[in-house]
Amino acid sequence: MKALDLVSSPAAAYWKQLLSDRVNPKWREDIDNFETDIVLKKRGKIEDKLFAETRLRMGAYGQRYDNGHRHDGNESRTIPFPTDLNKGPETKWDAPGMERIKLPWGGMTAQQLEVIAELAEEYSDSILHVTTRQDIQLHYIHIENCPSMFRRLAAVGITTREACGNSVRNVTACPIAGVCRDEAFDITGYANAVFAYLLGHPDVQDFGRKFKIALSGCKHNPCGLTNIHDLGLIAAVRRQPDGSIKRGFEFYVGGGLGAVTYDAKLFTDFVAEDEVLALTQATCRVFARLGEKKKRHRARIKFLVADMGIDKFREAVLEERAKLPADPRWTDFLATLPKFDEKAARPAGKGIPKTNDAAFDFWCLTNVYPQKQDGFATVTVTLPMGDITSNQARGLASIARKYIQDTMRTTVEQNIVLRFVSESDLYDLYKDLATIDLHQAGAASIVDITACPGTDTCKLGVSSSRGLAAELRTRLATKFVQMDEAVRNLRIKVSGCFNSCGQQHIADIGFFGISRNVGGYIVPHFQMVLGGQFANNGGTYGLAVGGIASKAIPAAIDKLLDLYLTRKNKGETFRAWVERTGKAVIMQSLGDVTAVPAYDADKSFYTDWGSVREYNVKDKGIGECAGEVVSLTDFGLKAADREVFEAQLKFDTGDWQTGAALAYKAMVYAAQGLVKMYNIDVPDDPEKVMAEWKERFYDTQKFFDPFAGPRFAQFYIHAHEQRGAQLDKEKASRLLQEALLFIEAAHSCNLRLSMGIEKGKDGIAADIKAAGAKPAKA
Amino acid sequence: MAYAMDLQYLNWKVYLENPAEAEPHEWFKVLNGWIPDSPEVFVDVADYQHVQDGPVVILVGHYLNLSLDHTGRRLGLLYDYKHPMEGSNEEKLKSGLLGLLRAAKRLEDESGFGKKPKFKAGELRFIVNSRAVAPNSAETLDAVKPELAKVLARAFGEGAFAIEHIADPRQRFMVQVKATGNPSLADLIQRLA
Repeated sequence: MKALDLVSSPAAAYWKQLLSDRVNPKWREDIDNFETDIVLKKRGKIEDKLFAETRLRMGAYGQRYDNGHRHDGNESRTIPFPTDLNKGPETKWDAPGMERIKLPWGGMTAQQLEVIAELAEEYSDSILHVTTRQDIQLHYIHIENCPSMFRRLAAVGITTREACGNSVRNVTACPIAGVCRDEAFDITGYANAVFAYLLGHPDVQDFGRKFKIALSGCKHNPCGLTNIHDLGLIAAVRRQPDGSIKRGFEFYVGGGLGAVTYDAKLFTDFVAEDEVLALTQATCRVFARLGEKKKRHRARIKFLVADMGIDKFREAVLEERAKLPADPRWTDFLATLPKFDEKAARPAGKGIPKTNDAAFDFWCLTNVYPQKQDGFATVTVTLPMGDITSNQARGLASIARKYIQDTMRTTVEQNIVLRFVSESDLYDLYKDLATIDLHQAGAASIVDITACPGTDTCKLGVSSSRGLAAELRTRLATKFVQMDEAVRNLRIKVSGCFNSCGQQHIADIGFFGISRNVGGYIVPHFQMVLGGQFANNGGTYGLAVGGIASKAIPAAIDKLLDLYLTRKNKGETFRAWVERTGKAVIMQSLGDVTAVPAYDADKSFYTDWGSVREYNVKDKGIGECAGEVVSLTDFGLKAADREVFEAQLKFDTGDWQTGAALAYKAMVYAAQGLVKMYNIDVPDDPEKVMAEWKERFYDTQKFFDPFAGPRFAQFYIHAHEQRGAQLDKEKASRLLQEALLFIEAAHSCNLRLSMGIEKGKDGIAADIKAAGAKPAKA
Repeated sequence: MAYAMDLQYLNWKVYLENPAEAEPHEWFKVLNGWIPDSPEVFVDVADYQHVQDGPVVILVGHYLNLSLDHTGRRLGLLYDYKHPMEGSNEEKLKSGLLGLLRAAKRLEDESGFGKKPKFKAGELRFIVNSRAVAPNSAETLDAVKPELAKVLARAFGEGAFAIEHIADPRQRFMVQVKATGNPSLADLIQRLA
């Protein structure tokens, strides 16, 4: 039976007709334009690249296998999609994609949650996924269903505009803003003003990359994670000469996670509330004007701020600010702030109800936050890996209506909070949550693991972050209640690759996906990152300490926690213990549980979590030196691993100059190891190593990552150019992170070449091309 | 009086006889094995064992999804056709139901399960997965019932089944179908094919 066109289906027409009067006219125009773009694209009237950015700016993202190929464990096979049309370079029209739904500051009404639940049912797979930016994502969406989805969302006040693409992403904020006991003031209305002012603003349409903004309510116990953002605002107040209190913000720029972490820089310690939008706009204009546009990997504002230095950057922004024509919207929003004052649906309670239910008591311990408003609490509804089904979402909407007044918010830890719950209602609420299986304890604890989609749906994923997170969650949950509190309150965060969507750098224990060659087989691994800090706005980043095979991680975690508990001093935090003990001792202590058994001894290590396919085992490599188990290249990479680890240790002791020198040396070892594939006599002289590596790996693009292109190669070139220079702590730290990434890229390059993958003239290896990679741009 | 309705986005579900025996990990593996060489355009298998009252393991395709499904808190096989189809309502209803039954039969015959799944062919759920096409109302029931009954009569026999409307306005249009007898999947497939 023949399938028909979706975009012109009667169902699509129904929503268009029914909802046209219920949608903000500007948003309606955006949606109508996008619908027209779809029709024009199908007729070949819009080029792929342009359509890709168009759909991205409406939140429609690609997913794994969207290039039309899937490796089934034996070979890469073509997925026989019915049309040859693309919706972006190499992204097949028919490939199911992801839709990101923006929820500014995580705010969500019961009605909105119900609508998203309906969309998940009708267009996705009945799963709503809360992200680390307080968005909700739906997966496996057909692009032609997007206009109907957008109309149904817009009818309840949600736009997906600029949820992806090179623009201002969802503006995030503390989920307890307005109820927080420590905040200077409620930043919700300000977060909404920033979102509303910048949405579709001409000054944010010409960025080289995305731009992320966060607001935090207080200085001393903040949870808005401003340190990891392109622009971060922390609420502050100033007493005026007349004794009145003036509201404003500490204004930070240039922070970020990603492959290489940057701490945000203080732009000013106070920008008044009536100036904050203007200064934000000026910042955006400077980023658009001076930010990198061609080199994608250098196009975030953190690079611009680092290159210019905060003083020059500030000068440029203030100059831009002085030129800006006044806009009444800069201050109009101040009059609307009272509408963000939330009201309770029920009378204030008088303490948490006394019951004989131990599970309830424990849930109160982990999931209930007493608000600054007496008698009320904020309840965290923990969602395993950020997922909730459509039926659960409808159930949660009903519960929200019963106990509160539309005061739900999503969190960056992939949960949902219910605010203004009367303390007297907590036990009834808990029992109601149990009816929809959303009463699990453990919010913000070791079992509440954050994970990006990883290899499940993300085309950049290297290892299965969700698979690992699910396994850890299951195992840790069995002993959670009995755990020592020092361990119970640790955070674990997992990313499928170096891009940090899982925010592993601000976890006590973080992981990001890598792969390693073990005895000629490719084995899924994760780099372990220890000692990051979620509190204090993501105040301190952890550092990668070593790669561990995916399947060895649960045992490694058990041992790590045991080491901490048995060796920590009284009251010593995990981070302090990591610093005192040192990464070398920790990794050495884990040694026996992180060993990877030979393929014939235990094949399970060669399959990732949540996968049934052996991890490219059929691509077993034939080494450069046939007959040898370990090639000279492998030895070189091993030396690089060792050296970079030494660099980290030096860094930990505060000797970052030596650390930086060792990090560079490690890069040389890695490059030299690769060169030995072709010239085993390459000398140790760094100049000669660079010359040979450049000729054989950079100029030929053999080193280039299929997706990141020359990014990692340039880390080495930059380090080579800067070698011997005096570096401050921050620059040394960055060099260290870049060395780690270069060495990982060298491992990947070795794997690709040992699998016999050769590049064509466009610089793309044949089988990677079959998987739909784009030519890398130098 | 019934009005003309163009039925689209049809879902059918058949329940497991012994849901406690279902091992999602095995389903995950088996459904992954269906992707290569399938006449259907299948893309991926998603694992949602960690959530409740929804999909458990889902084989995602371009035209249709198949899943081990726990929605409504009863475990079964869900067949979800995602694109609008040509043809009469009766043809579409029959096509979807046959698709479900054949997939269920294939699963019963699979060697990849420790304990092979067995389906209760005499009890089905039918859903129209579009609130635009079919609001969950008595009017929709009136419109759908005659053609649905025709297809079900062919499968189960005239008068050998009952249709119960699940009239929750927040849910999609759905009915529960119960046969009076105890037919096998093979019987139903033979009668419908």
